[in-house]
Amino acid sequence: MFKNILKIIISILLVQISLINSNAVEPDEILNNQKYEIRAREISKNIRCMVCQNQSIDDSSSSIARDLRILIRSKIEEGNEDKEIYKFLTKRYGDFILLKPPLKTNTIALWFLPFVFLLVGILVILNHNKKSNKFIKK
Amino acid sequence: MKNQFLKLPIIIFFIILFIFFYLLIIDRNPSKVPSALLNKSVPSFNAETLFKNKKFSSSEEFGGQVILVNFFATWCKPCRNEHVFIKRFAEDQNIKVIGINYKDDAEKAIEWLKKLGNPYSSVAIDKNGKIAIDWGVYGIPETFIVNSKGKIKYRHVGAITAKRYKKINQIIKEIE
Repeated sequence: MFKNILKIIISILLVQISLINSNAVEPDEILNNQKYEIRAREISKNIRCMVCQNQSIDDSSSSIARDLRILIRSKIEEGNEDKEIYKFLTKRYGDFILLKPPLKTNTIALWFLPFVFLLVGILVILNHNKKSNKFIKK
Repeated sequence: MKNQFLKLPIIIFFIILFIFFYLLIIDRNPSKVPSALLNKSVPSFNAETLFKNKKFSSSEEFGGQVILVNFFATWCKPCRNEHVFIKRFAEDQNIKVIGINYKDDAEKAIEWLKKLGNPYSSVAIDKNGKIAIDWGVYGIPETFIVNSKGKIKYRHVGAITAKRYKKINQIIKEIE
């Protein structure tokens, strides 16, 4: 019984691992310089594939994603910094191309409202507890 | 005191609900991204051309009048659908239209334009999609309106329909 459960768990985990490694980078794109390749992969993971739904260009097999992956690699080989590559892309495609929205005046609410909600929630719970403690004491 | 505190989350909840409904009701398409290049100068580029034996140079082509820039390819079905409107811009409205042939076979493109009519004053060849990336293009067809100072004023992603044709004409008139 226990062995069977263990088998099932291990097979599920193995499937998960193979899913984690799935990506769309094609062999001919990969750079010989491993350091450059790692940098390219990191950047690609943060760049949105504009024609897909919430996929990075690292995950997408669409042709525009491939073009951008190749472009990022050639920019790295030309000696551009990561920052310069992000700037190059946002200048053309806007902030939308970044999967993580940058902290700017128009995104302050997006970044800080969750903390405000958390605070409100904590206050509500504390207040509620205080009341119910009083009620129990009575 | 207790009631007041409980009211706050409910009020916030309804505000959020209202915002969601508002965004649902107003006429907008969240998958269409405004161009980051709006009100910026056209990206400069040089390219081979389809018909002329001359190189395409953006610095020579833009400026002096309102120009439409249309990214197209023969393999793209919506491009064929909108072609009739691109022709109307050039023929009926007398607007200079520059075509950018995206990742296409030059021979096929020439044949395609001979068959369907060629509304383009010149056609630049974007063999590997590099020009498209400079324009922030992510899917063709895409059409841009460039004003007489060489600044991008409008961008349309997708095929031009009869409704969009009217709207683009209106925008061109406003710009002129």
